[in-house]
Parts: sequence; structure tokens; C-alpha cells
Amino acid sequence: MGGVPRYGSRSGLALLLATLAIWQLAMRFEHPDFVMGPLEIARHFGEALRSGELLPHIGASLARSVPGFVVGSLAGVVLGLLAGVSRSLDQLLSPVVFLTYPVPKIVFLPIVMLWVGIGDVSKIAVIALACFYPCFINAYYGARGTSTIMVWSGLSMGARRSQILRKVVVPSALPLVFAGLRVSLALSFILLFSTEMINARSGLGFLIRQSESSLRFDLMYVAIGAVAALGYAGDQLLLVIRRRVLAWQEATSR
Amino acid sequence: MSARWPDLASAFRRVALLAVGVLVWETAARSGLFSPLIVPSVTRIGYQLLLLATQPESLMEAWYSVARGLGGFALAAMVGVALGVLMGRSALAAAFFGPIFSGTYPIPKIALFPIFIYLFGIGSLSKVLLIFLECLYPIVLTTQAGGRAVHRVLLWSAANMGASRGRIVWKVVVPATAPFIFAGCRIALPIAMIVVIITEMISSADGLGYLVMYSLASFKTDRMLAVVIVIALLGVALDRLLVRLRNRLVFWERLESYYAE
Repeated sequence: MGGVPRYGSRSGLALLLATLAIWQLAMRFEHPDFVMGPLEIARHFGEALRSGELLPHIGASLARSVPGFVVGSLAGVVLGLLAGVSRSLDQLLSPVVFLTYPVPKIVFLPIVMLWVGIGDVSKIAVIALACFYPCFINAYYGARGTSTIMVWSGLSMGARRSQILRKVVVPSALPLVFAGLRVSLALSFILLFSTEMINARSGLGFLIRQSESSLRFDLMYVAIGAVAALGYAGDQLLLVIRRRVLAWQEATSR
Repeated sequence: MSARWPDLASAFRRVALLAVGVLVWETAARSGLFSPLIVPSVTRIGYQLLLLATQPESLMEAWYSVARGLGGFALAAMVGVALGVLMGRSALAAAFFGPIFSGTYPIPKIALFPIFIYLFGIGSLSKVLLIFLECLYPIVLTTQAGGRAVHRVLLWSAANMGASRGRIVWKVVVPATAPFIFAGCRIALPIAMIVVIITEMISSADGLGYLVMYSLASFKTDRMLAVVIVIALLGVALDRLLVRLRNRLVFWERLESYYAE
């Protein structure tokens, strides 16, 4: 969303810095224990990193979110592309997917917990389920939006069906696929932390809950900061990959 | 306009699919392979659904969830549309708020819930505000994109005919942005439902999310599944309602709905 022409991104940065400064200054007044200034949080962050309180939880969270995201979004993209291309698959899958799309996927957590236990598998399964939908829908519309003329010219130049799929449909669907991946990534983080808050013995969501109930607000803020940093880093990574892959499509919206 | 036969065929396919699903479930439940705690029979789930629909207490639980979800969503829609139109039409506002929104967009706001509980109490307020925060982002960002895309010929002709700035915003920009606004709302509404259920699961003594966790903890699987079905139906119904409202308000451009086949 960058590249605002006239005022540059400097004013946005200024607003961010001003907010932090006001926040820090407000700490000079009397405040309850659970409110902390940015400098204090940064100090605790360094401490938690050094004492090793934070890293195992980050590892546990990533071990849940990465498989869930990969499995769910891969299945979503592949099935979505195929459903966008094949009519019989479309008629089989799309009604189910589009009907269950507005259902909040988190409600399946208790059911999955009941079936496969309260371990990591149930969390990964729910994250994968939630990541499936945006990827499926975007890949589906991406594949369906392939311009007919391109498919025709590919055919008339003698391309086989598999070649058309790989060389025409997939590239033209990619921008939408990445849009779907971005939504899925954000959803995977939401579900990761909520499943960990609901039941887990490790992970950042658990750390937030535990430090909150044991009144260790320093650790709570550190965990929240780590969550924010992870979410931001994942999104930036995805954007970098997207810029690489879609370099040919001189992006209008970065 | 719409041909009747394809409609009937797709409706038939849906009913058939549902019937097959129910049948498979019922055979699994009756086969004796699974404990009824894990796969309760359809009739017991149906009985619990009936109880849910007729008991005033459980209707109240559903009402709590819907009121929280829609409250946060409506708040986000009002603030989000105003902010989005402003950011779409004013470069200054876009430069001012843009980096904050796109920078904090990928951060899961749900992590702030414990702080919200401390700040705003454990009741409805913390939940509604968290829903507001999560819903605000998609609405602001899509509205801004729509506000930027308003055709300048429309703006010029309105200005040429002597419309004031406020009138242009109200009569040209907002209607031209309306499809985008609804697209953003359509992303935000399921998010609102997700966050209601999650926050009620994590810490609450009422609402459907609480009811799910409570039924699970007391090993009433049939009841839990009934509540899950109610939540799912609510999600679908609210989305349908939004699409209907959108097609009525944005009557000049019908939505190629996900569900329209």
C-alpha cells in the first residue's frame, strides 16, 4: 500500500513515532501495573530473549502454524485451480465450499479435539481448514478469470491440456492466488493464537494466557510483541516472494 | 431472467449432498465402531437442536453472541467507511493513516485480548472492541481502494454542475464506492463471527462460544454439535442477509455472488 505520491511515507512514520512518544510520556503519570511503556517493553523483550523464556514458545507456535498454513493453502490452491478448470470438479466441490465459507472455522476446534485429541494435530487441522477457504476461492476465481483468447491461442498453437494449465491458467491466476495466500496467512495467525489460548501447554498464545493469569505483565507484553513481529514478518516474507514471482506483472498495487 | 432448471438442479444437488452426509454420519454412529461420545447419532443432535431452538435460555445465549458480533461489526463499518472514504479521497489522510493501517494489518489483533480484558473488563465491552478492531482493517482498506477508484469524470461533472464538496462526497463518492464498501463488509462479517466465538470460548460465561466449550467440558457431544450447527447457520444467514442488503442498495450492479450458480 506504500507509495502515496504527494506526502511520502514520512508523515506516517512521524505519526507512529509520535504515538510511541506520547505513550512513553504518559507513563510518567500514575498508571496501573498492567500498563507499560514502549521502552520498558523493549527492555523486557531483550531480557526474555536472553533468558530463553521466549524462544521455545516461538518454536512451538511455528511448528503448528507453518504445517497448518502449508497444508491448508496448498490444498486450497490446487483444488481451487482444478475446480476453476474442470466443470465436474466445480459442480462437486464449489457448492460445499461456498456454502460453508461464512462458517467460523474455529467452531470445529472442539470437534477435532474430540476426534484426534487435544495435541498439536487438532490445532494444525483447524488452521489448515481455515487456510483452505480463501486460497480455494481466490484460486478458483483466478483460474476462471483466465482470458478465453489466451486459452484459444494456446490451443491453436498446439499446446496440450496440461501445458495450457501450467503455462496459461496458473500464471494468470497467480495474482489472485497470492491475494488468497495473504488472507490465509493472517487467518492462520488468528487461529494459531486462539487455539493456543483455548488449550495448549506451549506456544505464544499459551504464554500470553499464562503470564496474564500469573500477573507477569512483562512477559505478557513480550509475548504479544512477539506475536505482532511474527505476523508482520510472515506478511513481509509473502510480499517479497510475491514480488519475485510476479515480477512480470509490474504491480499497480504493491 | 434466471433459468429455472439449473436452479432446480443445483438445489437438488445440494439436498442430495446433505442427505449423503447425514446418511454417512448416521451409519457411522449406528455401526458401533465409535463411542456415542465421539459420533452421536443424528437423531440426538436433532433433539438437542430442537431444545436449543425452544429453550429461552439458549436463545438468550445466541442473542448475546449475535449482539456482540453485530455491535462490533456495525461500529467498525461506521468508523471504517468514514475513514476509508477520507483516506481514498485525501492524499494527506492517506499518508497520515495509511502506514499505520498497512503496517499493523498482518498483526493478529486477537493477541491483544488479555490487555483488553484488563482495560475494559471481562464482559461484553472488551469483546465488542476487539471485534471492532479486527473488522476495521478490511473495511478501511477496501473502502480506501474504492474511494481512489472513483471515476474522475463523475467528479468533474458534479463539480461542473456546481455541487459543493460535501455534496460530491455524499452523492458521488459514497455511491461509487458502495460496491467496495460492501466487499469489505463481506470480509469483515465472518471475521466478526470468528472473533465473537473465539473470545467467548476463551473467557466468557455466556454466548454460543461459551456454550460450545461448556458442552464439550461436560461431555455432551450431541449438544456441542448442535451449537456448532447453530453457529454455522448463523454465519451463513448473516452473510446472505448482507448480500441481500447489498443488492438492494447497490441495485445498479448485481453481485456475482459466490453462491449464485
